[in-house]
Amino acid sequence: MTFDCKDLERALAIPELLPDAREHAKVCDVCRRELWLWGEMSAVAPSLREDWETPDLWPKIRQTLAAQQKAAKRHSFTRRFEWRMLAGIAAALAIAVSVFMVKYSRPAPAPAAQQDSDFLTEQTLKEVEQTEAAYRASIDKLSRLVQPKLNASENPVAIAAREKLMVLDSEIVNVRSTVARNKFNAQLQADLAVLYRDKQDTLKEILQHAQSSQ
Amino acid sequence: MAAGRLTARSDADLIQASKRGDLSAFEEIYAAHAGRMKSIAFHLLANRADAEDAVQEAFLKIYRAAGAIQFDSGLAPWIYRILLNCCYDTGRKRKRQAESPLSAEPPAIPNNVPLQLAIRRALDRIHPQYRMVFWLFEVEGFRHSEVAAILEIPEGTSKKWLFEAKRELQRLLTESRA
Repeated sequence: MTFDCKDLERALAIPELLPDAREHAKVCDVCRRELWLWGEMSAVAPSLREDWETPDLWPKIRQTLAAQQKAAKRHSFTRRFEWRMLAGIAAALAIAVSVFMVKYSRPAPAPAAQQDSDFLTEQTLKEVEQTEAAYRASIDKLSRLVQPKLNASENPVAIAAREKLMVLDSEIVNVRSTVARNKFNAQLQADLAVLYRDKQDTLKEILQHAQSSQ
Repeated sequence: MAAGRLTARSDADLIQASKRGDLSAFEEIYAAHAGRMKSIAFHLLANRADAEDAVQEAFLKIYRAAGAIQFDSGLAPWIYRILLNCCYDTGRKRKRQAESPLSAEPPAIPNNVPLQLAIRRALDRIHPQYRMVFWLFEVEGFRHSEVAAILEIPEGTSKKWLFEAKRELQRLLTESRA
């Protein structure tokens, strides 16, 4: 390759061409100076580096970082404390709301089957009350038939019957007043029915005794 | 890595320790890089006090951001990127405060000054991107791969800009010495 001055720039960009450039520079003052300057810039460049002592720079940085760490720890503690406090308040609120809801909230709507069951209970109670009223009315009717003859008789059977009816009436009043406070208690209703049947049987016995003695 | 006396492994260890609040580990990072950082900052800000402020600010940012560092390209490029940003911030503040003639045309290079001073003056007259690559590669001794990582440019661009920087400098120096 024939190297001349205009090839120098290309040679500076392509290191493989530098040997040719150096050969050319031996006979060309301008290119020799250019080539020298090109290399000299790189040689001199590191001496441009600025270096000076700064003994207080790291202590300043360290002091600032230590202060920031301290502040961060304080901030972190404060935040942890705030979180604990907030968590405590939240827990207390949750407990209070739960207690309030359990105590004062209306019962949740029951499932359909349960509603049907309640309806039947209401219905059954109504029927029981109607039956009981009718039963009591018929017993009272029977009692009105028997009571004059019973009161007029002084035989021991009649006296015992009167006393039994008085006890039964008293017990019936007691049980009825209890049933009035707890209408859905089936056991009380059954007890009441037993008392009525007992009274009915007693009245029948008195009536049969009176008819047989006539 | 030419950027520091530390290996990538120890860089990672030091950063991990720094994240845990170990300031002696962070001091090792400072010791490895502070000198070169001051030089770069001085080159950009032309003032030692401003350079020290920028380096201090850079180290505070590096410490705060230690948790976010990605070691894909090593610690050094990340550190020097932060430094350059701090220098640009400081330069902008100084420009606003004092209306410094940073953008003014630098004086011409007298023909009787030593080459070192002539290069320094010529550097002020070339394109800032070329100047930065020249400074990092020729003055601070970074490799092209490191310059590319610091400036976030392709390595080929770093090589091209260095060539352009030297060609411009050569032209200016030749003119001044003609």
